[in-house]
Amino acid sequence: MRHDKLSPGLLLAFQDYQNEGEQALVTHKRSLGIIAHKSTVKPTKSIVFIYCDSDADLSYLSQYNIEVNQNSGSVRTAFLPINALDVLSEEDTIQRIKPSRKLQLRMDVAAGKVKLPEFQNQTGLTGKGVIVGIIDSGIDPKHPAFAGRILHIWDQTLPGPGVTEGHYGAEFAGAQLTISQDTDGHGTHVAGIAAGADATYNGVAPEAELVVVRSDLQDAHIADAVRYIFRVARELGRPAVVNLSLGGHADAHDGSDSLSKVIDAETGPGRIVCCAAGNEGSMNIHGQATIPSGRTRGMRFNVPLNQVGIVWLNGWYSKDSELEISLRSPNGFVTPFQKIITDGNPTQEHQLPDARVEIVTPGPDQANGDHNFFVQIRGNGPSQVMGGIWQLRLRNTSATDTRVDVWTLDDRSSVFFTGKSVEDAVKIGSPGTASSAVTVAAYTTRAKYTDIDNQIREMGLDLDTISEFSSEGPLRNDAQKPDVAAPGAMIVSTLSADANSPRSSMINSKFIAMAGTSMATPFVTGLVALLLQRDPQLDPATLKDLLRKNSAIPGKPVGTFDHKWGYGVINAVNL
Amino acid sequence: MNYQKLDAALVTALNDVQNSEKPSLGVFIHTEPTLDSAATAVLESFGVSGATSGQDIFTATLSPDAISQLSEQPWVRYLKRSQQLHLVNRRINTGKLGV
Repeated sequence: MRHDKLSPGLLLAFQDYQNEGEQALVTHKRSLGIIAHKSTVKPTKSIVFIYCDSDADLSYLSQYNIEVNQNSGSVRTAFLPINALDVLSEEDTIQRIKPSRKLQLRMDVAAGKVKLPEFQNQTGLTGKGVIVGIIDSGIDPKHPAFAGRILHIWDQTLPGPGVTEGHYGAEFAGAQLTISQDTDGHGTHVAGIAAGADATYNGVAPEAELVVVRSDLQDAHIADAVRYIFRVARELGRPAVVNLSLGGHADAHDGSDSLSKVIDAETGPGRIVCCAAGNEGSMNIHGQATIPSGRTRGMRFNVPLNQVGIVWLNGWYSKDSELEISLRSPNGFVTPFQKIITDGNPTQEHQLPDARVEIVTPGPDQANGDHNFFVQIRGNGPSQVMGGIWQLRLRNTSATDTRVDVWTLDDRSSVFFTGKSVEDAVKIGSPGTASSAVTVAAYTTRAKYTDIDNQIREMGLDLDTISEFSSEGPLRNDAQKPDVAAPGAMIVSTLSADANSPRSSMINSKFIAMAGTSMATPFVTGLVALLLQRDPQLDPATLKDLLRKNSAIPGKPVGTFDHKWGYGVINAVNL
Repeated sequence: MNYQKLDAALVTALNDVQNSEKPSLGVFIHTEPTLDSAATAVLESFGVSGATSGQDIFTATLSPDAISQLSEQPWVRYLKRSQQLHLVNRRINTGKLGV
């Protein structure tokens, strides 16, 4: 053994291994490139850099299970059982052996898991010349990760003359950017994933420039914001990708809603939109039932006690059918069945002893031709909505069996279906439903982190698989969504100084850990910025085809679609 | 009011508005693809941005009276209520985090 050839850290790990066996390597795993198998049958391995003669032939080392990754060069990488360091150090043409820790410490986990560093190193792409649009809670314009790269902020929440696309809010540039604040922190985190510049927590496209909209999250205003960003980019002669880490469930879940239509109309060559799939994967917000012709079926949902001020049910079914709608309260009071009303106001109010109920049953929806009904439930007087099990009753008066899909909406996100009507699918709402948008599911690349107080924080997430919370497709019309999955938990990115962030989520004074499809989406947005730098005319269809071909569900062939994974987790290396 | 042109969510919201003249409802206005000058003038009178841009989907904040007037226009196909969306980061419950 030539101890002098090993770097101090690697030598220490090797000596501990010799003295105490595999268990001693646990404390070294974080800082060295050591990979310990759960099975004791397989040996613990290490990834190392080898400094050697540039023309040295090291192929014979394979007999010791040392895999040298390059045939030539003075600095090579190798993968080897840790006890083979002895043999490796005795090789005369090798001068130095170092662990791969420096490289591992410099890149965040998420990027490495999807081969982003390899792609960036191969191509040199940084997003330069591309506009990344962020429509969100705003951005911290003073954060050093964005220094000099925020071109405009349209703050829709401040008073002002607005912009061409909407005469409300205030637009800022230059020194005035700091007037707008991100008091939530979500937008700053999202922007950092897509385009932050930092030695440790680099964004995907660190040289892209940003146009940011601090939105009030009304979907009409988000539509205005999409048009605004693409107009600004067009005036600058730049391609643009817009990030929408937001969503809702008041739409038809088929891409026929107004915001999805605007996105489809505005996107095209050099104009891309990326949307979050949503975080309702573990929530029973969706119910589904098939009502036989001439029969009545019930769909039960639970309202928590004394918590909810208002509940809505958003129901959709085929244009070829007719349903009558009724509601039963937890105390057993029922409204009469209400038919489709095509003459005048399609609303009927029903005063129950324990609730005020409005049911709206209009004719076919003008956008997609299907039938929609809306149920609104409030408590009597100042009371909250009665807690307990409610039942939506549906009577099929048409000649054919009918499938109905219903989503719960409420002011606390706590009303869920229960029993047989729960359907763990069709939970991607607008704008993730837009056909031209890249809709992104979340993949877990980090399950724990160390916070600013040096406490290890662990989420209850399974590592290296689809995130449990990620919403499932397909759409109500069976269109395939989500499109792909990307790292969404736990992601470390930029912290807004104006947000009241919990210390348990903070990594340090500038960075914070968050999770969600909100975080997965800007990862893809950043990737798209790199691709738009390479091809400024890249269009949505070509992009989505490229992403599908470079994504996979583990253990399944490329091209396999799943309602939770989409076409699988992205692999950037060959994009 | 031509209720056939309103979506269920907008009808629900209209039922709760007290002041019929105050612009209080965010809406999408879906129109025919080509609008004449009279149509664009109507849109502009209601403060709609981009009325002459060639689009067929517009956004505005309107009063119930304005919604009623627009719903009667032959070049208005339908109106939909603007919905409040939410950010989709997963709220971290620090009480469940292991230390």
